[in-house]
Amino acid sequence: MQQPQRRMVYFLVLALGLAWVLVSADRSGASTFGQIPAPQQDFLAPDFELKTPAGEMIRLSALRGQAVLINLWATWCPPCRAEMQSIEKMYQEYKDEGFTVLAVNMTYQDDPLAVMPFVHEQGLSFPILLDETAEMANAYQLRSLPSSYFIRRDGVINEVVIGGPMSEALLRTRIEDILK
Amino acid sequence: MIEIFRSIFAPPRDIILLLAALWMGLALAEKRAGRYGLSRDAINNIVYYALFGYILGGRLLYALANYSVFSQSPLSIFSLNLDLFDPAAAFIVAVIVGVVYGSRQKFTLWPTLDALTPFFAMMAIGLHLSHLAAGTAFGSPTAFPWGIDLWNATRHPTQIYELVAAVLILGLIWFRRSDSPAGSDFLLFSGLTAGARLFLEAFRGDSTLIFGGVRLAQLMAWAVLAVAFFVTEMIQPQKSN
Repeated sequence: MQQPQRRMVYFLVLALGLAWVLVSADRSGASTFGQIPAPQQDFLAPDFELKTPAGEMIRLSALRGQAVLINLWATWCPPCRAEMQSIEKMYQEYKDEGFTVLAVNMTYQDDPLAVMPFVHEQGLSFPILLDETAEMANAYQLRSLPSSYFIRRDGVINEVVIGGPMSEALLRTRIEDILK
Repeated sequence: MIEIFRSIFAPPRDIILLLAALWMGLALAEKRAGRYGLSRDAINNIVYYALFGYILGGRLLYALANYSVFSQSPLSIFSLNLDLFDPAAAFIVAVIVGVVYGSRQKFTLWPTLDALTPFFAMMAIGLHLSHLAAGTAFGSPTAFPWGIDLWNATRHPTQIYELVAAVLILGLIWFRRSDSPAGSDFLLFSGLTAGARLFLEAFRGDSTLIFGGVRLAQLMAWAVLAVAFFVTEMIQPQKSN
């Protein structure tokens, strides 16, 4: 292709590209961020209501206004066990600033009798919830344990961390983000 | 099918896809290195040095940016958490390390970039596969029959659109004639990748929007495309009268 023709092609492509940028602009703000509930960053955290081992019901949406860490775990999962002390330490450090933890045990795939001994052994003081029917696991499309969801005060998921154990530095940076 | 793929390579296992792409991309680049006057070792070294820079730079710069946190638990700098990482800073450090290593070894810029182009193209494929596995870089809701169910809506399978584009770009680069000026392969890859992003970003549901709903990634892709055209014009051989 000769130089003048080539330059004409470049010019046309760039002009069409610019037109496409303007035509495909998202003027309606049709992004689904923060509106549709889904277990993904920038979506509204799917709501759930689960009971604690003591029988008390806790609903996620009732905690709106607080920064929440949802941690999905099981007693048979070594990285889940390994990160509990760090989570407890962060809970103690940040709870007065409006931070809470919901540690949801995947009871449907765990030994229900092993849950409370583990909680006592670790000295965990944050709420433990029991997912006995996989309701929560399905809503959060659980694929790996542990899975952690850092939720802002407005109920939107700020970050999802799959796998573990999470270090204190990781927890601290994410918690400080959701407390802003 | 997509669900099975997503189950197998769900995070954190999606890193396997990136490692496989790295290995295959390196093998392709090695195979073509001779055409550009480079040895296999040269290709291997530049990639591994840049990779080292990527890993080290990403973690160190993340720690620096979060100094107050890391000063409370300094050993976290050695943590195995992949999330304690700044990918943008890592990329910049990798480029700097690659450029410094290349200059010290007296590699010429364009043939080196041409030799590395199959590696870049294969990494793009790995990245889109990893997005598909993780459900990131997702599309906007659609009523088209080929939409996929993701994040509680039927969406454009943008990860697949981008994957198909990346495979076609690799094919084009790999099977094109070798009589073009030095730098052509890399510039063609850059231009086509930017063009694909410019077009396909319109179907994404996670775009960063700026003024008037314009998608930031499209503007950046347009700028890269313009630069690729400009430089392509500069490297064309001048015809004497």
